[in-house]
Amino acid sequence: MPKLLVCYKWVLNEQDIKIRPDDLSLDTTRAKGKISDFDRNAIEEASLIVEQQGGTVDALSYGTPAVKQSVKDVLSRGPNRLLWVGDPSAEEADACVIANVLAAAVRKHGPYDLILCGEGSSDMFYQQIPARLAALLDLPCLTFVQKMTLEGSVLTAQRKLGDCTEQVSVTGPAVVSVLSEINKPRIPSLKQVLGAAKKPSEEIALASLGLGADDLAPRAVRKSPKGFLMNRKNVVYKESDAAANVARLVASLAAEGLR
Amino acid sequence: MAATFIFSEDAVLARQLLTPALALGQPVVALATDPAEAGRLAELGAGRVLLLKAAATSPEALAPAIAGLLAREQAGVVLVGGTSSGKHLAAHVAAVLKAGLTTDAKALALVDGKLETERILYAGLAVCTEVVTLPAVATIPQRTFLATAPAAQAGTVETLEVEADTRVSVLGVVPLESDGVDITAAVKLVSVGRGFGRKEDLALARELGGALKAELACTRGIAEDEHWLPIERYIGISGQTVKPELYLAVGLSGQVQHMVGCRESKVIVAINKDEQAPIFEAADYGIVGDLYTVLPLLTAALKN
Repeated sequence: MPKLLVCYKWVLNEQDIKIRPDDLSLDTTRAKGKISDFDRNAIEEASLIVEQQGGTVDALSYGTPAVKQSVKDVLSRGPNRLLWVGDPSAEEADACVIANVLAAAVRKHGPYDLILCGEGSSDMFYQQIPARLAALLDLPCLTFVQKMTLEGSVLTAQRKLGDCTEQVSVTGPAVVSVLSEINKPRIPSLKQVLGAAKKPSEEIALASLGLGADDLAPRAVRKSPKGFLMNRKNVVYKESDAAANVARLVASLAAEGLR
Repeated sequence: MAATFIFSEDAVLARQLLTPALALGQPVVALATDPAEAGRLAELGAGRVLLLKAAATSPEALAPAIAGLLAREQAGVVLVGGTSSGKHLAAHVAAVLKAGLTTDAKALALVDGKLETERILYAGLAVCTEVVTLPAVATIPQRTFLATAPAAQAGTVETLEVEADTRVSVLGVVPLESDGVDITAAVKLVSVGRGFGRKEDLALARELGGALKAELACTRGIAEDEHWLPIERYIGISGQTVKPELYLAVGLSGQVQHMVGCRESKVIVAINKDEQAPIFEAADYGIVGDLYTVLPLLTAALKN
């Protein structure tokens, strides 16, 4: 029976983030949290594997104390147990720190037969955690997986690279990052949502992981992000007469030298 | 002085990496796996090229060996070509070096002994500067920099035997289905989204493309969920990045994940029936209307 781990990140929904026009700073005051998009695919894939062949899935996250809001959502998507580290240090953490924390949690609560991650988080999109985690745990790593099969201890997977797909296999524990096309994440049923409340969820104190100050020091420090300014003409033709709109657009294209 | 190391398994991208590497002003060491490419990188200005010989030469298989090599060489800055395999390698290297890594750096500079990079956040909604302590790693996407001209004096090439990581077996490689069109080179693009109800309806966009002499592009959903167009034609954060003269977006809402791949286009035009769709904020010109009505009219008007 495989013992699986899926890592996820609780992120701000980028659709809710507004750009303040005066200084282009980001207004996140109305942004709600969500499970990072690609991580939902990782959670779904891990859950499908154990629903088909038995075993267990633990979910693991390191985030600010807000990560606690994710408990019910994550557990209603299939995992049997949740382990989470909620610490203010996550606000400034870079991929180096995140991987150190996740690896320390795996050392404490593992080992696992398979560790799944999404391709990258929908906020920072570092795309680094799977390969970093594998390097820190000395495990082989399969990134950018669009199809996978676990048979006993043999994992066979199809990776999507720039201009080709690659069929690969590995025996024994490994770290896998999945692409969004690998599955369609479920919309949890009422029964799954109610069932989530009965599943165990355990907060791990960052201090209990035995990490030193150097392990928790970000190497990459983000300077204040600025909104990307769309500087466009925004001329919109919206008369009820479609032919008139088309004529105006054609004139505009001609004026731009694009006809 | 600490050196700047570069590596990409993609020969074109490796040459492009030399440009930002030389601009940092430190000695440049290039890693290569192909003898001809190693020589080429030496001619183009890499002071030293290490030609790696191993049983397997994919970036993934070489990652542990390259990480060990960079640790021994006390690399200052490591620039890796931002292909999928390159990103895998860079993350492995950064973990071993306990280093920061900027993914998809658009610009970089050494400031006060640290590497300052620029990249996007929130799928392109925002940009930020990352200040990375040395050793620092960065991946750099295709075509971010132009390749350099040959240097006055060619560098040296040394051959190095390294051990490949064979824990993962590669059983086979299948090239992606391709129709041979490089949409990143297209001058004009007609890009389609979920507003099209059936695959056959893309004929409307093809006819418009014909009238404009434009290639067809699409959103992720059209390529990866519906499989109506080849994957190489989809625009967005996980797909292609294009900068055509004209980007005509039809029946696509303009989510930031898509727009990041086309927002450097010279002129953006939107056709969408939803006036509230974010694509209109990102467009120079737009028509609010049903594409099934507008496209035939537009095609006919352009042919006139």
